[in-house]
Amino acid sequence: MTLLFDPQLFRLTLIVMVPFLIAALGELLTERAGVLNVAIEGIMVVGAVTGFLVTFSAHSYGWGLLAAMGAGAVIAAVLAYFCVTLRASQLTVGLGLFVFCVGLGSLLYRIVIGVRLMAPQIRTLPPLPLPGLSSLPGVGPILFTQNALVYLALLLTAAVSLFVFRTSWGLRLRAVGENPRAADVLGIGVFASRYVFTILGGALIGLAGGYLPLGITGTYSDGMVGGRGWIALMLVIFGRWTPSLVLLFAYIEALQFKVALVAKAVPPQFLLMLPYVLAILVLIKVYHGAAAPEAIMRPYDREERA
Amino acid sequence: MMRALRMVTALMVVTALVAAAVPPGQAAPAKLRVAMILPGTIQDADFNAVGYVALLELKNTLGADVAYSEQVAVADAERVAREFIASGFNVIAFHGGQFLTIVQKLGPAFPDVNFVMESSGRIDGLPPNVWNMGRKFYQGFYTLGVLAALATQTNVIGYISGVRLPDFVASLNAVKFALKEFNPRAELLYTFVGDQNDPVRARQADESVIARNADFIIIQVNLGAFGVIEAAKASPRKVLWTTFYTDKYTLDQQRFAASLLLDFTKPYRDVVARISRGQRGGYYEMRPGAGMSLGVIRNVSNETKLRVLKVFNEVVGNTRRIDEIIDRIVD
Repeated sequence: MTLLFDPQLFRLTLIVMVPFLIAALGELLTERAGVLNVAIEGIMVVGAVTGFLVTFSAHSYGWGLLAAMGAGAVIAAVLAYFCVTLRASQLTVGLGLFVFCVGLGSLLYRIVIGVRLMAPQIRTLPPLPLPGLSSLPGVGPILFTQNALVYLALLLTAAVSLFVFRTSWGLRLRAVGENPRAADVLGIGVFASRYVFTILGGALIGLAGGYLPLGITGTYSDGMVGGRGWIALMLVIFGRWTPSLVLLFAYIEALQFKVALVAKAVPPQFLLMLPYVLAILVLIKVYHGAAAPEAIMRPYDREERA
Repeated sequence: MMRALRMVTALMVVTALVAAAVPPGQAAPAKLRVAMILPGTIQDADFNAVGYVALLELKNTLGADVAYSEQVAVADAERVAREFIASGFNVIAFHGGQFLTIVQKLGPAFPDVNFVMESSGRIDGLPPNVWNMGRKFYQGFYTLGVLAALATQTNVIGYISGVRLPDFVASLNAVKFALKEFNPRAELLYTFVGDQNDPVRARQADESVIARNADFIIIQVNLGAFGVIEAAKASPRKVLWTTFYTDKYTLDQQRFAASLLLDFTKPYRDVVARISRGQRGGYYEMRPGAGMSLGVIRNVSNETKLRVLKVFNEVVGNTRRIDEIIDRIVD
């Protein structure tokens, strides 16, 4: 039991959670507007490489994170152009962009850095102790001395939740994703909304990618996103965006290595599989009764007869 | 008329000289054309980068035409190799231990082509046109185990590995042997993160190990090393680490302890030179003293350095024998 409630485990959970959470928020906004962004993994790759390269060159976290968001937004804008304006298949375009982005990430790094025997490094985001909370005995130094993006991820979760479910703008967004024709009749700009939220979502997904080199590793490597984009997509689709599921997944992922250290009889391959198995089991339960936005993946054509 | 006669005579003389230079029945040796297939990106500053450097060395020293294909999955490797062969490459080098079955298949299918592969040791029954480079990582990791045993203050040592390959199991066991001999009180916390190149997972694993009081980490992941090093940096107490393939001292000068360096340039140069002399297959062992060396030891006492170097030299000289156990992790 002490293993399950180890404060160090919660600290690690918060670190692990960030890319899943921010990417899932980005995907949520996009999906709520009726666009399924399956390029999410690729956008994270581009966000990671752009964030790293700009931080490395400009020696500025701020510019690096902005660049990661900008790169994500640009890719998402391409997706929006094809899917909203040209009404192409969201799945086909998204998968095409995913493959393109994976290659682009590798190419950008090769062009700027080249081949070296010593990989360039940046300092990872420093801890930002929260005044008052960080001095709490026990949990304070562990939970409230995280880097800025951890706090930002939690704030964004609350902000997006409030926006989508508690504001009139959020209601309009949901209307565009559920019934674009009705929204259009009411004067809501369906095309503009889909563009805006796809691009905004792409920016958040790029930020999630940028967090990996800036917050965790201090360097970029091909394949470092490691399927985290797909997991974020899964969390959104199955869970209809419930942050607790992201937290749960991150907790189990952090836990697996602690278990691996004590349970030597258990094959490591099984422990590596554990977060995914548990996530799927939990998500199947949560998914029961959840409904996807009605118009997701359906291009909107104003001229089309109802 | 005389001019035409002189030209014909000159042509005949040149033809006769060329004919005399090449013994009857023997064609001029084909130019070396070496293609390397790498499992990862050459910009990894690690295993694939040192393979790429070795390939360039073949171009510079032996004048070989070289080409490469990176990030080749095992399922794709045969296709890529066949494409190189179809393009006229006569030496196909597989940089990595995961391509054995492909070499076993392609060797007999292309008897005029030479193949180079890497493994953990001798393999019986390889085709005659295959060179096998056996990498004895465990002998080098034994020395890193000695370093950890002598340098730890908490008597808790972490070992972060990626995929549970036989080479890596043997290395983990070698570290266990070293601890048993040089610091029996030391506890080894090991974990396989399932990927050699995922720094995020590696960092998570290392955070868990450090949380259990480890103050010395032996790294056996490639790009994952960056995550491990970041976790060590973030630790409130000093955590030393070792790595392999390349010297990573500049990544964290305060905590770097040593690196087991692998230089593939000499093994590849030797093997390809032998191929060019007609020795088409064989076994080449990489071990301490042969393509494997210990980089400068740092951040530990001089006494520890000297003891570790002594052990390393014993391993090089084969005066210290280490068991190679690849199929299980010893207790």
